[in-house]
Amino acid sequence: MATRDADSTREPGDDTGTREPDTPRTDPLGEPFLHTRFAPPARPATFLHRPRLTQRLDRALDTPLTMVNGPAGAGKTLLVADWAARLGQPVAWYTGEAAGQGAGMFWASVLHALRTAGVEPPPGVGRPADAGRVDHGLLARLADGLSGRDRPAVLVLDDFDRQTARQVADQLEFVLHHSGPGLRLVLVTRTEPLLPLHRYRAADAMTEIRDADLALTPEEAAGLLALHGLHLPDDAVRGLVARTRGWAAGVRLCAMAAGESADPVAYLREFEAGRSTVADFLLAEVLTRQPARTQELLLRVSVLDRFRPELAEALTGRAGLEPALAALHRENAFVEDLGHSWYRLHPLFGEILRAHLRARHPGLEPELHRRAAHWLGAADAVPEALVHGAAARDWHFTAAALVSDLALGQFFTAPRAGELAALFAPLGPDTRGPAPDLVRAARDLAGPDPARGLAQLRRARAGVGPGGPAGVGAGAAAVGPASAGTAPAVDSAAPAVPRLTPTPAPPALSSPLSGTAPELLLGHALLEAVAARRAGAVGRAEAAVTAARELRCEVPARLLDKHPELSALLLAQVGAARTWAGRFTDARAAFAEATARPGGVATALPRQDCLGQLALIEHLEGRPAKAERTATAALAEAERYGLDRPGSGTLARLVLAAVAVDRADLTRARTLLDGTPVPAAPDPSATACRALVTARLLLARGDHRAAAEAVGTAVAADTPSPWAEVHWALVASAAHLADGRPDSAVKVLDDVPYAAGPAHAAEAARALLAAGDTVRALALAGEPDTGSRAAPGVRIAVALVRAGAALEAGDTATACGLLARALPEARREGLRRPFLEAGPGVRRLLGRPPLHALATGWLLPSAGPPPPARVGGRPPVGGRPEGGPPVVEELSGREREVLLGLAQLLSAEEIAAELYVSVNTVKTHLKSVYRKLGVNRRGDAVRRGREQGLL
Amino acid sequence: MRYEIRVDGLMSETLAHAFPELDHVTMSGQTVLYGPVVDDAHLYGLLTRCQSLGLRVVELRQLPEPPPEPPRPPESG
Repeated sequence: MATRDADSTREPGDDTGTREPDTPRTDPLGEPFLHTRFAPPARPATFLHRPRLTQRLDRALDTPLTMVNGPAGAGKTLLVADWAARLGQPVAWYTGEAAGQGAGMFWASVLHALRTAGVEPPPGVGRPADAGRVDHGLLARLADGLSGRDRPAVLVLDDFDRQTARQVADQLEFVLHHSGPGLRLVLVTRTEPLLPLHRYRAADAMTEIRDADLALTPEEAAGLLALHGLHLPDDAVRGLVARTRGWAAGVRLCAMAAGESADPVAYLREFEAGRSTVADFLLAEVLTRQPARTQELLLRVSVLDRFRPELAEALTGRAGLEPALAALHRENAFVEDLGHSWYRLHPLFGEILRAHLRARHPGLEPELHRRAAHWLGAADAVPEALVHGAAARDWHFTAAALVSDLALGQFFTAPRAGELAALFAPLGPDTRGPAPDLVRAARDLAGPDPARGLAQLRRARAGVGPGGPAGVGAGAAAVGPASAGTAPAVDSAAPAVPRLTPTPAPPALSSPLSGTAPELLLGHALLEAVAARRAGAVGRAEAAVTAARELRCEVPARLLDKHPELSALLLAQVGAARTWAGRFTDARAAFAEATARPGGVATALPRQDCLGQLALIEHLEGRPAKAERTATAALAEAERYGLDRPGSGTLARLVLAAVAVDRADLTRARTLLDGTPVPAAPDPSATACRALVTARLLLARGDHRAAAEAVGTAVAADTPSPWAEVHWALVASAAHLADGRPDSAVKVLDDVPYAAGPAHAAEAARALLAAGDTVRALALAGEPDTGSRAAPGVRIAVALVRAGAALEAGDTATACGLLARALPEARREGLRRPFLEAGPGVRRLLGRPPLHALATGWLLPSAGPPPPARVGGRPPVGGRPEGGPPVVEELSGREREVLLGLAQLLSAEEIAAELYVSVNTVKTHLKSVYRKLGVNRRGDAVRRGREQGLL
Repeated sequence: MRYEIRVDGLMSETLAHAFPELDHVTMSGQTVLYGPVVDDAHLYGLLTRCQSLGLRVVELRQLPEPPPEPPRPPESG
C-alpha cells in the first residue's frame, strides 16, 4: 500500500497533519523540511580528525563570519561537522538545495535550522510563504531577536555556493550585521560568496579557512592513508601529496585504488609519474575495480540528488541493495549517509559518474528519470516525482501524477505556481490524453496566454467531459513499463544486471487515470469554474462547483486535506461569478465559507480574491468604510505571505480607488488606478470597476465624452451585470447632464434595472433629481429601506434627494434637518461626492450656519474668509473666491511644487531642472494646475493659489 | 565568442563527454577544451562544471574569432 512508502519518503516526525502556527514544519512549497538538510552529515569510520583546522575554527565563535572555502572534495563539510560535534553547544545547520532555490525557501530553511538547534526566533517573526522572496521586516525581526541573545547562535550554511539567488547574500549580510554578537555565521562554500568580505577582513571580523589550509599536510595524508590500512614510506606520501596538491578526495581515492593493487607503493609511484587529471583518473580506476553490479548501481543512482535503498532498487532492478549502500558508505568512496536511510553520492563523484553513465549507456538517463518518477510517485513524493517525470519527458505520467494528486489548483495559487509553470513549459501539444490536456489548460489559463488555455480546456472537455470518450488509451500505453525505445542500452551494456522487474513501488500512481477518474473530473470542474468566472457566466460556474462538490466524496479525503487551495479556489470562482451577476447574498455565502477556513499560504491568493470581491460588494452596497477595510484586508492577506507583487489584489486596489472617488480624493484614485496593471486574465467585475473609476475621474476633469466612452467599452462577459449596467447608466446620465442635455440624462436612467438593490435605486434617484425629474427621484428614493439597517451610502443619498426636493418646494427647514442628520454619518464614511454633486441649493445651505459647522474641516475649507491658513492635511482647492461651494479636485503634491515654482517666477525649464523631471512633464502639471484652479495664465494661477492658501 | 579552457592533467575521453559542446585536445600534460561559448552565463557554467568535476583550470582565454583549427600548440613549455 501507498502508506508504507509514503512513510519511507517522509521522514519520521514530519507529520504534516499536526502543525502549529508558529513552528511550521513545512517549507514555503508546503513540503516537509527534510531532516537530512538540517543536521551535519555523519563522519565515516575513515574520517581523519584534523586538530590543526578545528582549532582555527574555534575562532569562529569570536568573529561574526567564518568562511570555509575550497573545491569539491577538499573535506570542508566533514571538517565543520567534526568541529560542530565537538563544540558542546547546538549548531544550526542547513545544507543548501541543489536546484536554484529562491530567497523565501532559503530563509524558511534558516529559520527551521535555528529552531532545530533550539534557537527559537522571536515570536511574531513570521515566515516567508513565497519560495522566491522574503519580506524585509522578517529579516529585521530575526536580526533583532538574535541580537538580544546572551550566547551567540552558531549557524552553519553548507553548500552555500548552491544558493544562487543574488539577493540572499545581501539579506544574509543585513541579518549578520544587525544581529551583532548574537549570531556567528559559518559559510561552507566552493565559491567566494558575494558578501563584502573585504570589510570583514579589514575589521578582523572574519575567520577564513581556504584551499591552501584545507590541503592535507604529509602528516595528515599519512594519517588518512593509515585509516585506509596503507602504511607508506614518507617520501611516497610526500610524492602523493605533491601530485594531488593535498586534495583530500584525491588522496582518499588514491588510497582506495592503491589498496586494491598488489603493490601499493609501486602503484602510487606510477600514479605520481602520470599526468592524468586526478579525480577523473582515480575515479575511473576505483570504479572499474568495483564489481560490475556496484558500478551499475553507482552509475544509475547518479541521476538522483538523494536516494533510499528502495529507490536505488527501482533504478537498478535489483533487490536488497541496503547492505551494498552501507558498505559503500563505510568505505567512504562515493556514498554519503544522510541518516534515516537516505544516501547521496558525493557531489564530486556524482558529476563524474553522470559523465560515465552517458558514455557507457547513452540514452539511458531519461529512462532512469522515468523509473525514479514512477517510484517517487508511488511513494507519494509528488513534487520530486514531477521533477523526474519532466526530466524524462514522460508527460503522460507527470500530468497524471499532478492531476491525481488534486494539485491542479497550484497553478493558480502560491507558492508553487511558478515552479509548475516552468516544469510543464515544455509540454507540447502532441501529448494527447485527458491528464495532459487538463494540465496544458491549467498552465495556460494561469499563464500569460489565457485565451490558449480556453482552447485547451475545450479540448480537455472532449476527453473528460460528460459523454466524452474516455480517452484513456493514450495515457495507459505510455505509463506502462519501460518502453522498448529507451531500454535496450541498459541490458546490452551491463549483462550482469537483470531486467527491470516491477519492484517495491506499489502501482497506485503507475496505473493511469481513466478517462472518468474522479480526480480528472474534479480538475476539470475547477478549470471550468475558472473559465466560467472569467466569462461572467454564473450558471456555468454554479454547475462546475456543484459537480465538484459531488466529486469530493469520491476522492481520498487525505488529498483534499493536502490541497486546501482546491476548495478555496472553487468557492472564490463561484462567489465571483455571483458577484458579477449581482447576487450579493449568495456571493457573500461563498466568500464566508472560503474565508472561514483556516488560513495558510496555499489559500492566501484565493482568500485575497474573495476579500477583494467582498470589498466590491460593500462598496456597491454603499458602505465605503467597510469596503476600504475589506480591501485593505485583502491586500494584507497576500502581504502576510510575501505575495504582494504587482498584479495581485487587482480588484482590492480598484475598490480602494472607487472609494477614493466617492470621497472626492481624486489624486489618490488616480494613483491607485495607474498603479494597478491590467492582469492577463481579468475578472469581469474588476474590469467594470476599472472602467467606472476611469469614467468618474474623466467626469471630474470635465471630459464628459471620454467618460461616456470609458463606460461604453464593454466588458467581455457572457451575461450582463445588473450593477455594472446601473453604474454605466449613472455615468452616462451625468455626462449628458454636464453637456446640458437633461432630457437625455433622464432617459438613460429609464432602462436601468432598479431591482439591482437599494444602493443603486438611491444613486439613480440622485441622478434623476440632478436631471430635474424630482417626482421620479422622490418615488425612487422612497423605495429603499432607509431605516437603521440601510447602508450609510443609501441613507445619505436618500437624504440628499429629499433635501433637494424640499428645497425646490421652498421648505428650507426640512432640508436643513435632513442634511444635519446626513452630514455626521457622511463624515464618518468620508463620503464627499454626493454633496459635491448635489444641486446649488444644497451646496449654498452647506456654506451657511448651522450646517457650515458640520461641513467644515472635511467637506468645506476649514475656515471662512479671509483665505484660510493651511490647517493640517490638504485643504480643498479651487473654490470660488467668495468662499462658495466646495470643490472638486485638489492639487497633487507635484502640482503644488510646480505652482510654487511659478510663484518664484521660475520658467518651465527651471522648474523642470529643480524637480528633476522633463519640461513636458512640467507643462502637463501646469495644465492641470490651471484647470483645477480655473485659470488660464500663470499670474492668475499664483494669485488663486495665494487665495487658497497654497503658497 | 570562442574560448579555450586549459586544465591541468590529461582528461579521459569519458570525462570529456561532460563537455559535449567543446572540442578537446591533450598536450604537454594538459587538456585544452575549446569551442564556441554562447555568452557569459555559459562561460561561468563551464567553469562551475570544471570545478564540480574536480578539474584544475590553469588558463582561460578568449580566442580570435575565426579559428579554423584547434589552437596552436603553446610556444613555450
